[in-house]
Amino acid sequence: MTLPAKNSAREQDNALLVAVAAGDRRALEELYLGYHRRLSRFLSRFTPRYENVEEIINDTFMIVWQSAKDFRYASQVSTWIIGIAYRTALKSFRRQKNHMGAQNLDDCPEQTVDPTFDTEVQDWLKHGLSQLPSEQRLTLELAYHMGHSLEEIAAITECPVGTVKARMFHAREKLRLYLPSLSGGAVGSPAARE
Amino acid sequence: MSYHLSNRDARVHQEVSALLPWYVNGTISELDRQKVDAHLPACADCSNDLARELYVYRSMTADTAVEYMPAASLKRLLTRLDGVAAPAATDAAADETADAGPKTMRRRHSIPWMGLIAASIAVMAVAVSLLTADRWLYSRPSGSQPNYYTVTTALPRAPGEVIRAVFSPTITLDELQGILDEAQLRIVSGPTEAGVYSLAAKSNRPVSSSLALLRGHAKVRFAEGTAESTQIATGSGNSP
Repeated sequence: MTLPAKNSAREQDNALLVAVAAGDRRALEELYLGYHRRLSRFLSRFTPRYENVEEIINDTFMIVWQSAKDFRYASQVSTWIIGIAYRTALKSFRRQKNHMGAQNLDDCPEQTVDPTFDTEVQDWLKHGLSQLPSEQRLTLELAYHMGHSLEEIAAITECPVGTVKARMFHAREKLRLYLPSLSGGAVGSPAARE
Repeated sequence: MSYHLSNRDARVHQEVSALLPWYVNGTISELDRQKVDAHLPACADCSNDLARELYVYRSMTADTAVEYMPAASLKRLLTRLDGVAAPAATDAAADETADAGPKTMRRRHSIPWMGLIAASIAVMAVAVSLLTADRWLYSRPSGSQPNYYTVTTALPRAPGEVIRAVFSPTITLDELQGILDEAQLRIVSGPTEAGVYSLAAKSNRPVSSSLALLRGHAKVRFAEGTAESTQIATGSGNSP
């Protein structure tokens, strides 16, 4: 069952995209402002520089502007836009990786740390996330940071559901190595497995 | 019999384990949720996994302190749009714009010949316009205004403007509002592409005092009194 508020947000997005397809820049501005916060918070988990975040968001909306006419409303507008941002970000991260050798996500500001959590474990988690391949980390972030369902992530990433499950499985397996002692709800300092 | 059951249990265990991330983020279907609920009490491994996933989830969803203000970014996007034609499908964009359908299902529209001819004419028209613009740029008087500006270029002054300021891109709306309230200022225009805000006074507080407050704030990157306001208020220069 879908909540009325969600429906109305979808309808509003649909109406805005129709207007964008007709060349309405005000509609694009409204769509941009509606998604900027969500996208910037998501992307800033991967890159410490706002310039990079802005570049990805603006590239995304350039594509939205140019391709709105092609949108067939087979999916939600939000899924479509986040999907474009996902692919744009993936390209950007790969480019950065090529330029920088090994991507150092440890440099990213960890903005999501609740001070009540154990700092050492947070460091392990941060390090663990930084070690994941881009696709796996993006899958994890789409599920946990953005709160998307399995099917939505499949649509966003243009992958079969099985692929999303596999990426998530591998991401969790790798993170497990960094967070071995988080069993039974207790958050302790991580100890080496075995 | 017991072999069959343990195989079945192993399969359920794998299924449930794979569903845990979506159980944790609350997007799991009702049917799957019931499956997980039924399995968890009997499986210590899955219970441990759940604790770990909950921890990771809570860490990753904890509220972020950084919030970017979109106005300056949007302006830059709109400037980029100026150089782009009205919305049209492009091959370059096509790779990024799958509409949640299998790629094999995507249909390419055939391009009518009339459309191609019209497009060719449009390209020629643009080329002629560019050539004309180029010649005009060379032929115009050298003293005319450039079509760009910098942060320090004298911009048309907004009504009531007394201060121009640039804030950190990481400033939140609440922080910005707090600073402005404290300094008794309000935004009268901006931000420009360079992120410059024009600020007007909300009270009789001296401009120099508002300036000092702005400059003392870590989230203010630049604050400058406009020439007239500083002459009136302080009679001194206000270079940061």
